[in-house]
Amino acid sequence: MEAEAQSREEFRSLDENVQDLKKEVLDLNRDLFLLEEELLFPANSQVAFFISMDVGEYFELDSVNLKIDGKEVANYLYTEREVGALVRGGVHRMHMANLKTGDHELIAVFTGKGPHTRDYRRGATISFNKGIGAKYMELEITDRVKKQQPEFEIKEWE
Amino acid sequence: MRQRLFIVVALWLCFSSAVQTAQAAKDGPDPIVVEDPHYGEVLFYFYQEDYFPAIVRLLAAQDKWRLGTEPGEGEEPNQFEHANQAELLLGGLYLSYGHHLEAARIFERLLADNVDPEIRNRTWFFLAKIWLQRGYLDESQNALSNLSDDLPENLWREAQMLQSQIFINSGQYDRAIALLQDWKGKTEWSSYAKFNLGVALVRSGHVEAAAEILDELGDLNPFNEELTSLRDKANLALGYSLLQDGQPLAAKGPLQRVRLEGPFSNKALLGVGWADAEVENYRRALVPWMELRGRDLLDSAVQESMLAIPYALAKLDSISQAADHYLNAIEAFYEETNRIDRTIGFIESGAVFEEFLADDPLDSTGWYWRLEELPEGPEGRYLYHLLATHEFQEGLKNYRDLYYLHENLDRWQANVGVYANMLETRLQAYEERLPRVEAALGRADLDGMVDRKLEFDSVLNDIEQSDDWLALASRQEFEMWGEITGLENTPALAANIPEAEEVRDKILLLKGVLQWRLERDFPDRLWRLRRDVRKTGEALVETQRARRKIDDTMRNEPLRFEDLSSRVYGLGPRIDGMKSRVANVMQEQGGFLKSIAVGELQAQKQRLDIYTVQARFALAAIYDRAATTVSEASQ
Repeated sequence: MEAEAQSREEFRSLDENVQDLKKEVLDLNRDLFLLEEELLFPANSQVAFFISMDVGEYFELDSVNLKIDGKEVANYLYTEREVGALVRGGVHRMHMANLKTGDHELIAVFTGKGPHTRDYRRGATISFNKGIGAKYMELEITDRVKKQQPEFEIKEWE
Repeated sequence: MRQRLFIVVALWLCFSSAVQTAQAAKDGPDPIVVEDPHYGEVLFYFYQEDYFPAIVRLLAAQDKWRLGTEPGEGEEPNQFEHANQAELLLGGLYLSYGHHLEAARIFERLLADNVDPEIRNRTWFFLAKIWLQRGYLDESQNALSNLSDDLPENLWREAQMLQSQIFINSGQYDRAIALLQDWKGKTEWSSYAKFNLGVALVRSGHVEAAAEILDELGDLNPFNEELTSLRDKANLALGYSLLQDGQPLAAKGPLQRVRLEGPFSNKALLGVGWADAEVENYRRALVPWMELRGRDLLDSAVQESMLAIPYALAKLDSISQAADHYLNAIEAFYEETNRIDRTIGFIESGAVFEEFLADDPLDSTGWYWRLEELPEGPEGRYLYHLLATHEFQEGLKNYRDLYYLHENLDRWQANVGVYANMLETRLQAYEERLPRVEAALGRADLDGMVDRKLEFDSVLNDIEQSDDWLALASRQEFEMWGEITGLENTPALAANIPEAEEVRDKILLLKGVLQWRLERDFPDRLWRLRRDVRKTGEALVETQRARRKIDDTMRNEPLRFEDLSSRVYGLGPRIDGMKSRVANVMQEQGGFLKSIAVGELQAQKQRLDIYTVQARFALAAIYDRAATTVSEASQ
């Protein structure tokens, strides 16, 4: 019984140490994450591209391909788990880039399974202006219930 | 325009998944409008049960005031409207990640009256559960006391059960009995309540009252595996307490109600055998004991049966068979002891826990993680039942989390080295470009240009005020005007002759036409000139703004480099220090797990040693008896 209490005490003391360390490492990770972003993507030139899904009944996402000004910049293959997180409302930051101020063109190609589990490939394009300050673009997959088809939209965040 | 994403907020799901109340989740609170993609990004990781990156992103977002709890200087006051929800989500993430102390700090601050009571209750309940599992009994009690009185029925029952467990674990058996003895209802909770009541009664010395309760529980008709297991457990506890109380015949009933295959079957079979042996029915006792012979030798009941069988055989006067069984037992115990020794050596070498985690992808972190399967190998089977204990599982979780932290710091350490190089290269490029930029800026006389523009404005004002249409004539028109006025002043044309008069009239006509045109075009020309000057002014303002930005950049860039440098070079040592602390705690945690595992194996080994000694004594007694018989026969 005494040994049990001692072991419990030892566990608790170790657990408290682990808890403190976790907090410190998380804070350190936050500082590193911010530093990395500031260093690699300064606010003036930063553009982030997000993928989101609203419902997603007519489209099962496999991958997204991004082209900026005719140049392929990212090609992301989604796992089942990631698609599940998107369907539940998560937003994936798929790509970060540094762009000069001025006009740019974004082309996104979505690949996956469409209605009746047929192979499906659709593109969406948008011209946007990059001003001073960070810019966020959201590529949204929604369901067009009337046509029973998926819809792909690109929106600009402030 | 800020766009909106409608997302059912995560905190709710966090607790609903934790306490497996899918139905409650369906009837959950209204969706919360998410105002920021970064919040959605946090949810993206959260929904994948990847709590570590989710927390880091949320902390970073809060730090940058993207999801700030209060606006920074010069920022919109309402930049992120649901800061409290973000903070609550952070608490939920900490909790899911197993960082329960930090989670509790947040909840204590935030779980005030303005939070949905159901979420508040679930949060405190979940914390109480985690703390009980981790042995934080006071904290667990404190969390339970934060629950409101109007809990839903199901949660109330579970909370009562938790409370009784806290009382039992802290030795307050009378309070546990008082809480459980008036339990009403016929749900499965009432079975658990009965079992806990039985345990509390036994531990407080009320064996008879406990027997009644356990007997009732041991006779229940279970509808799921959990209840079947609970029934087995109650029957086993009751059977052994009756055996110890000298009531072997009464003990047989409950022991025989235990399933033949299950976690308690070996002990029950052994007990049934002892119940028969107690009334000297050794032939019947042999039946369950022989059944145990083919089972896993790791189980203490199986080990004990290896001694019980020859004991019964000896009692039945099958001396030679008894001797054979004792010899078999001694040999089996010897081999088992050797295997345990090898396993202890392996565990002490430290490699065993790395092997535990080797096949684990480390892609999900947090409190929900459990090591379900042991790695293949001789040591796995010895540690199997350790996994069922909270202490070992929770310790292993901590070990795994520390391993994850170490890997994470390793990756950052490599990255920070690259960032330092990157920063130096950028600084070098900046210093190379700076003189060229400064020279180009020196050549551009912006102030002179502004003065000229102002001068031009004033000239235009004068022209407009004096209605000086000639001032806006083109070069050709101006030359023509000069020529005409020159001809006008020619002396020959002053003569009073008809030819001269005709030329004077023509000159006057030409002059009149030219003046008429110039006067007609004057407002248009003035407007165009003013427009061009305004555009030039705008361009000059833009140029001045750009110049100020360049000046700002030239002033700030060295400071930015300095800031980034100090962060990059400051973070390196922080990572190193943290890594070594993680390694130390990991070693301590590994040592703790080792001590539990080795302690368990030592106990098994000790038991085998005792059984071996008992077998040797029994065997010696048999040989002695045989020798005495032979010598008596020869005499």
